[in-house]
Amino acid sequence: MKALTANRLSDGEVVFWKDGTWVERLSEAQVFSDEAGAGEAEASARTQRTVVIDPYLIDLVDSAGFWAPVSYRERIRALGPTNHELHGKQAEGGGAVEALRQAHGAARSSGRVNLIRRK
Amino acid sequence: MYRYDAIDRAVLADRTAEFRDQVRRRLAGELTEDQFKPLRLMNGLYLQLHAYMLRVAVPYGSLNPVQMRALADIARRFDRGYGHFTTRTNIQFNWVKLDDAPDILDALAAVDLHAIQTSGNCIRNVTADPYAGAAADELEDPRVWCEAIRQWSSLHPEFSFLPRKFKIAVTASPHDRTAAKVHDIGLLLRRGRDGETGFEVIVGGGMGRTPYVGPTIRAYLPSDRLFSYLEAILRVYNRHGRRDNIYKARIKILVAALGAEAFAREVEAEWEKIGPEGDLPRAEIDRIGAAFTNPDFVADPASGDFEARRAAEPAFARFVRNNLKAHIRPGYGIVDISLKGIGETPGDISADQMDLVADLAERFGQGDIRSTHEQNLVLPHVRLEHVHEVWKALDAAGLATPNINLISDIIACPGLDYCALANARAICVAQDIARRFETPERAEAIGEFKIKISGCINACGHHHVGHIGILGVDKKGEEFYQLTLGGSGAEDAAVGKMLGPALPIDRVTDAVEAIVDAYLRERREGERFLDTLRRTGDAPFKEAVYAEAH
Repeated sequence: MKALTANRLSDGEVVFWKDGTWVERLSEAQVFSDEAGAGEAEASARTQRTVVIDPYLIDLVDSAGFWAPVSYRERIRALGPTNHELHGKQAEGGGAVEALRQAHGAARSSGRVNLIRRK
Repeated sequence: MYRYDAIDRAVLADRTAEFRDQVRRRLAGELTEDQFKPLRLMNGLYLQLHAYMLRVAVPYGSLNPVQMRALADIARRFDRGYGHFTTRTNIQFNWVKLDDAPDILDALAAVDLHAIQTSGNCIRNVTADPYAGAAADELEDPRVWCEAIRQWSSLHPEFSFLPRKFKIAVTASPHDRTAAKVHDIGLLLRRGRDGETGFEVIVGGGMGRTPYVGPTIRAYLPSDRLFSYLEAILRVYNRHGRRDNIYKARIKILVAALGAEAFAREVEAEWEKIGPEGDLPRAEIDRIGAAFTNPDFVADPASGDFEARRAAEPAFARFVRNNLKAHIRPGYGIVDISLKGIGETPGDISADQMDLVADLAERFGQGDIRSTHEQNLVLPHVRLEHVHEVWKALDAAGLATPNINLISDIIACPGLDYCALANARAICVAQDIARRFETPERAEAIGEFKIKISGCINACGHHHVGHIGILGVDKKGEEFYQLTLGGSGAEDAAVGKMLGPALPIDRVTDAVEAIVDAYLRERREGERFLDTLRRTGDAPFKEAVYAEAH
């Protein structure tokens, strides 16, 4: 399973694709089960150049009934910095946040290299 | 400290207006991200994991109270109430919005600060001894030269697009507090045989994926020839430095490839061509020097009840032992403010704490504040009779941790919690180690101990020169940490050697403790950790770590 993520141009906020728009919570993101659908969404997202920067697909795993990124890096993006628990999306708390905190995975985000290049 | 003139202020105003228009054009879609990215980076604006980050230049780590309060105001209005001091003595704001960035630059310009040359392949902020103008062992104030270098290098047309970024350090003390030997250029002020001052010139030090302690290419350069010599070095680098491979583009690679002697010959030949015309006139150096007016020192001021309180209050005595350093003038001291509270993020400071430091600098510190490359702050000129009051105020604000140069005074880069380049977190590792060695008596018994942590091989956390260096690596998506031993960023500069296989995150603090325990078993009278390690080699430490890891 995959989700599509990016940083929002206006404020750098981590956002996720949902049916042509962007949401801030991974729990509300559109989840793709097929490569074709994910690729189509990514291509569409890349045209939104005044909305987001560098959209890319990430791999997901199931965690306590929620989808969580496989890579540790993407889990931190989806939660916020671990040294400030009141900063970032994790401040809201709740089951989805806890599921992300408990998630495990062992692979890099497929979009990571591209993100580094863009930095 | 140097004061901007009308031309400086006009340049900043123009630059901010230019960036405001660039931001507008980007948001309107008139610029693509590929076009905009180099423009925002030239103004210190990075995109990190969670938001934009603005890196503000703190010239040679020198701030006045007005500037510190302006940084506090920016932290409150545009960030989340805090800032982060870096190993380049700059300050970063981690939660900046793109459309706020021009307003922040305006707020900075109003107090003679900016974010220019905090990114890009140019000459970055110069590192100075944070005790400059105050250190008892100083030859002369190096900030005058730092300011001259700042003016010379700012928007320098020839050196704005170097093969790679370029960092210079200047120190005038035999005890190096700038990590000069791991800079692209390290300038060590020396007294010549003629009684004049000059520089030992070190070139080609650096960290990153290929660490080097820089070689000396000139043992003594008369100070009035500094700028032609700097120009010669930069020109040779600009001509021969590699632009085909980002990992081989720093000057250290060129110096290593040519050899220090051959590189020095190239520089000397270029220097000959440039001649004295490339130097700053003495009158200009004197003009800059005049801006660094001596604070209003009192001759032999009374120390009040300083000694009595030190004798009566153990906590104050501990602060004095670790955070108060000898001043060049009797009756004064240098107060180190630790930004390494136990369990806190190294280098982070809240807006309220910034205001407090500004107030204390104004009331007791001659209006002078320094940031250090070890991510702490300094009040360089405090009368001994005021140190107790300063300590009480710092303590009430959580800024009096008595751990300068001790094991919990850890450098840590932002790591994977913020940085788009990082492989692993650094902050939480530092926090965990600091908590393990929280007891001040234990930390003091261990003595000088420098742990430095980087979240990737770019080495922003200076792990190569840590007594214990800790490097975060990515092993199949999980955080692992590689330990090195024996590094030093001081006058005895050395690159640490790898101890053994990388450890999972939950074994790092145990490994550090095993190393410390082995040191305490092995050390002889008066030895620092580095002394013991250099005498014994790493075998006792390797055995301690990997015996306990299994």
